[in-house]
Amino acid sequence: MSDNTNVPMLEIRDLVKVYKGGKKKDDKTAVDGINLSIPRGAFFGLLGPNGAGKSTTIHCITGIAQPTTGQILIDGVDVVADYKLARTKVGLSPQEFNVDIFSTPVELMDYMGGYYGIPQEAKMKRINELIAQFDLEEHRNVKFQKLSGGLKRRAMLGRALVHTPDLLILDEPTAGVDVEQRRALWAYLKKLNEDGKTIILTSHYLEEIQYLCRDIAIINHGKIVASGTKEEFMKDGKSIEEAYLAVISESDNK
Amino acid sequence: MQNPENKKMAGGSVVDEMRGAQEPATEAYRAYDEEQVRSGNKAVRQHRTTGVNWIGLYTMLRREVKRTLRVSIQTLAAPVISAALYIFIFGTVIGTKIDDFAGVPYISFVFPGVLMLSIINASFSSASSALFFMKFTRGIEEILITPFSYLEMLVGFVGSAVARAMIVAFLILIVGVLFGAVTLTNPLMFIFYVAAISAIFAMLGIIVALWAEGFEQLQMLNTFVITPLTYLGGIFYSITMLPALAAQITVLNPFFYFADGIRGAMIGYHEANQLVGLVITVGLVLVLGTLVTQIFKRGWKIRA
Repeated sequence: MSDNTNVPMLEIRDLVKVYKGGKKKDDKTAVDGINLSIPRGAFFGLLGPNGAGKSTTIHCITGIAQPTTGQILIDGVDVVADYKLARTKVGLSPQEFNVDIFSTPVELMDYMGGYYGIPQEAKMKRINELIAQFDLEEHRNVKFQKLSGGLKRRAMLGRALVHTPDLLILDEPTAGVDVEQRRALWAYLKKLNEDGKTIILTSHYLEEIQYLCRDIAIINHGKIVASGTKEEFMKDGKSIEEAYLAVISESDNK
Repeated sequence: MQNPENKKMAGGSVVDEMRGAQEPATEAYRAYDEEQVRSGNKAVRQHRTTGVNWIGLYTMLRREVKRTLRVSIQTLAAPVISAALYIFIFGTVIGTKIDDFAGVPYISFVFPGVLMLSIINASFSSASSALFFMKFTRGIEEILITPFSYLEMLVGFVGSAVARAMIVAFLILIVGVLFGAVTLTNPLMFIFYVAAISAIFAMLGIIVALWAEGFEQLQMLNTFVITPLTYLGGIFYSITMLPALAAQITVLNPFFYFADGIRGAMIGYHEANQLVGLVITVGLVLVLGTLVTQIFKRGWKIRA
């Protein structure tokens, strides 16, 4: 972690991502000059319709995609120039279950911890703590494919946290989870943030954003079209959903 | 009604438990980092961000070995049974009807080629199917977000496939030795050729897995290149039995040198120029290694 607490946990400068179309397709600009600064300790909501550029932005932050131009700094570390260090600082819980479905929650965390280079003893200690935190004890050796939706999401969260990242990115973390489990996950995420973890959350459940996030940015057509505190979005008695729909409608009509 | 899975998480009670558990978890890990600093590492997390990610590479290797053992009937039993059948057919049924072949029993001549076929199949299918499915299920993102360099990714994928091929090679070797089909005259040369050949086909498997959009494409190289070149590479016959032109063409086939290298290591009999074989084998490892590293670096079909 940077010694300088004034350094933002995430800083995105003029990020552009163009997907090359090849011979038969045109190039597609998925992200078109995004600037963001997220302070440490934030609970940040990133909203936007499907195809707006949210996932591409997350992919550029985490190393799944390479930025075309621009710069991304995690805790002051450049994700391209110093990618090894940058990647230890961020954990990702993706929307899709991109796991070996025959692995157990313990194995998923074990492999991920190993990839991050965590020595065996420290890794197993950390895994046992995560298993306890997410109440996965009974299911620790059950294959992922046999787990319910809620348990799968908890296992994914555990995997994202195994290397104790400073920045946690959650892409639709409660998709396919029942209401009761979703509320429980919210409580856990809130606790994580209160303990100092910086969290970026994308979700189509806008009540989730309203409940959890303090700061929000809305992306549409690859650009940030609105950003501010939750209170700023909710002024005049609007819900986040109403504010979101108004922003998207306005940006679509421009 | 309460979901049994929620018995702790629902109602906030688990949050209280988590509140207690969270701090020790973080502190334990940070304490480990601090210990690293005290014991000589200059920066926190240095063990994860500088030098070679040995633990990560070992994890990739361990995962592939576990995957191999999980489907051991397909990955280990099948090639061993095939090898035993080859011994029965070429040793007992056909071999007894053929006089010594180039000075050695026919089964001893053929068996090293059978072993080569098995390790090519093991390394190619291990690398190609593992990476193809990782691409298909987006499991590759697990690797992309972790602190592996491009060279480490290459070593991890190739090393995993080589490990599987090594296990297969030693099992088949044991079968061959037990049935008296072969010996092992040069163990170091055997290990070198098994490792190099499986590395070559693992790297070809990686390229095909990245290129392929479907299962049919995944099999194309195997069907149209690997299998024909293997069977035309002097596994089942001696080059001395071929017409002059066919013999001249055969010496252009790298598979001829692969089979000859393994045969030489096992029974001490060579038909090919050993130096040429060594240069071709090492050359292919270096060329394909450079190519695959560049492919990973450019993120071709892997990192958007």
